[in-house]
Amino acid sequence: MFKNGLRIALGLGRGGKAKVLPFAFITVLAVIGLIMALIAGAVNRYVGEVIADQLNLPSHSDYNGIASIIMFVFAAVVGPELLCRDRRDRVINLYLVRPLTGSDYIACRWASFLTVMTAAAWLPQLILFIGLSMSAPVPAEYLKLHWLDVPRFLGAGFAMAAYATTLALLTASFTSRRAYASVFLVGLFLISTPFTVGLASQIGGAAGQWISMFNLTNIPVHVNDVIFGEVSEITKAAPAAELAASVRVGWWFAWTIIPATILWARYRRLTP
Amino acid sequence: MTTDPKAVIHVDRVSRWFGSVVAVSDVSFDIGPGITGLLGPNGAGKTTLLRMMTGLAATSSGTVTVFGQPVRDNPPLYRRMGVMSEHETVYGFMKGREFVTMMGRLRGVSDLNTAVDRAIDLVDMADAQHRDLDTYSRGMRQRMRLAATLVHDPEILVLDEPLNGADPRQRVHFTQLLQTLAAEGRTIVLSSHILEEVEQVADTMLLVVNGKLAASGGYRAIRAALNQRPYHVRVVSDAPRRLAAALVGLASVDAVHVDPDGALLVLSRNVLDLQIELPKLAQADSIRLHRVEPLDDSLESVFGYLVEN
Amino acid sequence: MGSVYLLTLRQLAGRWRLSIMAVLALMPVVITMMMLRSDNAASVVDFEQTVLGAMLAGAIAPLAVLAIAAAAFGNEVEDRTLANLTLSPIPRWKIVLPKFLAAITVASPLVAVSALLTAHIAFLGEWPATIAITVSMAVGVAMYASLFVWLGLVSAQAIGIGLLYIVLWEGFFTGYVSGVRLLSIRYHAIALMHGLDPRRFPTEQHVSLAAASGFAVVVIGGFLLLTMRKLRKMDVP
Repeated sequence: MFKNGLRIALGLGRGGKAKVLPFAFITVLAVIGLIMALIAGAVNRYVGEVIADQLNLPSHSDYNGIASIIMFVFAAVVGPELLCRDRRDRVINLYLVRPLTGSDYIACRWASFLTVMTAAAWLPQLILFIGLSMSAPVPAEYLKLHWLDVPRFLGAGFAMAAYATTLALLTASFTSRRAYASVFLVGLFLISTPFTVGLASQIGGAAGQWISMFNLTNIPVHVNDVIFGEVSEITKAAPAAELAASVRVGWWFAWTIIPATILWARYRRLTP
Repeated sequence: MTTDPKAVIHVDRVSRWFGSVVAVSDVSFDIGPGITGLLGPNGAGKTTLLRMMTGLAATSSGTVTVFGQPVRDNPPLYRRMGVMSEHETVYGFMKGREFVTMMGRLRGVSDLNTAVDRAIDLVDMADAQHRDLDTYSRGMRQRMRLAATLVHDPEILVLDEPLNGADPRQRVHFTQLLQTLAAEGRTIVLSSHILEEVEQVADTMLLVVNGKLAASGGYRAIRAALNQRPYHVRVVSDAPRRLAAALVGLASVDAVHVDPDGALLVLSRNVLDLQIELPKLAQADSIRLHRVEPLDDSLESVFGYLVEN
Repeated sequence: MGSVYLLTLRQLAGRWRLSIMAVLALMPVVITMMMLRSDNAASVVDFEQTVLGAMLAGAIAPLAVLAIAAAAFGNEVEDRTLANLTLSPIPRWKIVLPKFLAAITVASPLVAVSALLTAHIAFLGEWPATIAITVSMAVGVAMYASLFVWLGLVSAQAIGIGLLYIVLWEGFFTGYVSGVRLLSIRYHAIALMHGLDPRRFPTEQHVSLAAASGFAVVVIGGFLLLTMRKLRKMDVP
């Protein structure tokens, strides 16, 4: 089931057209990482390391903020493939008449899509890390000074992947049409930003900070900020960035665990 | 290929490939009024052929004409054609009657209510016509789809696996319906895996195997034309070995096998001669014949042979 | 044509779907109200850029239209019911046009009412501005609908491609590459708004009303023709 989920998410075993979207998204994400690496390399080369440091070029922390909307669109478009089609074609029973429960089914689907999303989150960061290392005057020195960036971006990427995976699958579990799940999810992400920003600035204070926490696009980016210990460009203006690290991480946890629990509850009682 | 003047559907050297897969290969035939059965194993190319005959799919090469006109990109032709695909292509949120009415309206039926009533009565669905299609069983959906196919009284009917989901009573009813429609001069093409029904109802067969037309015509004519395959006849008697010894001497007999249960399996390319000689032999040797049974005098055996070879 | 139109309306106007779209369409209204109440009142330019350009024309309108218009043919292809329509003795444009009109019928009231309320609140009942915004958003809906109806027919991945188009093309590239704006539906919808009420919305940085109208005609007509052509040439599932 897990392998089947991977194949569905990446369009493997089907025609070329099924692979276009998932690999297009992964390519776009990788290209962003590559461009950032190339820019950093070029700046280092032409203006020198000292000035490059002062310019505050986009880093691993900023990458997650920049790529977050594309990650969410990726999850919104590809995630529903894993659940909606089975509902639509009524093939879930084919799984349930085997020694598989509804919990097994949804756990495997979640795990397989999480694997794909995590790979999509990590690959560009690895490209960026390699690029930054190679473009440094002394790569070994760069690695020695920045090796902690690796577990940081792996953790931040996983946080983004887990959050996007869970929300995408939960939305998909409510409909048999992939289209509606995708559009609803993207709409939610796109609209929550200006809505919460506007309302938060209107109300201000602690209430404004909490309203800002409902900016769904920023939730994993706050975790990214906590992990890297710096506020990214995306969350700089958000009142929620002023809240304690434990609150922001706990919020991400709630927005991942509670939807995951609802998702599991929707499937665990399924019988053939 | 020259066209049969009575041909309604003319398929001329049609091929269709999908990438490197050839689904239909250089097929030519004519279909006229009456019932034509399109048979073949799964993946033989029957559905692809039907889709090209109805204009739903393009040919990669060759032409398909209906009433002398190209069928592809020719919507006015559908006023005279009724097509029922193998998929359950209904709108679940509609009621049965609504669906048939909409199909009638799309096909330009004039006295719509009368036509819808007639079509629904033909398929014996009057009692359920006001229910949602979503609540129908598979067989009921199939019947309502057939009603939608008949509502505009088409001259040509192309039916892909129409008996799917039908129970025995419905199959009998459907067979009688087809025969009635064919007797009115319609051209009916029927694709099916259920050989017994096709055997009973179709005047002509088209046997498709691996994308090629393996045989066409009435199935007995097809069988007779299979010269290279001897007929198999099972003979049960009270003295099988003596009879076997006598049969081997006949020119019309290729081989004789003795089954463990004592029955004889006689292979003969000239069954007519065998029919005459066998009783004479038995009488001459005082052998009582209990049973003489042709084993491959059926569409199934012809079909099976052609598929295997 | 009426049968196809009514059939498509029934297919697209699902209760849940419309409810969710209605909630999305309310967002600009709520944000406008909040902006007005704020001590730091936004300028017309800020309002146009954030609420009208980015939110309404750039996000809500295309998303709502994508969900609705792509399903006009997309659902038929997925459910294999398209043959019910193509096996009819009617010209293909009598299938395409009612599908397009039904998509607009479902999508445009949501967007138009959102635009009307947003404009009416923002400009304190000033009718020329309100009409300019409402009409330009409605035309934007028609342009998006023609594109997404076509996309729903040509690709099983219409939603994914449509979302990429909205997020990357309309949302990202048009903001950074000025030439790309000339191929942007959002840009021309906003340009129409400027052209319809130049007093309230200065036109210096936008194409003229005639050019924006011409673009709309080309986009709507072009994609409808492409859809008809595709329907004639495709293998119907």
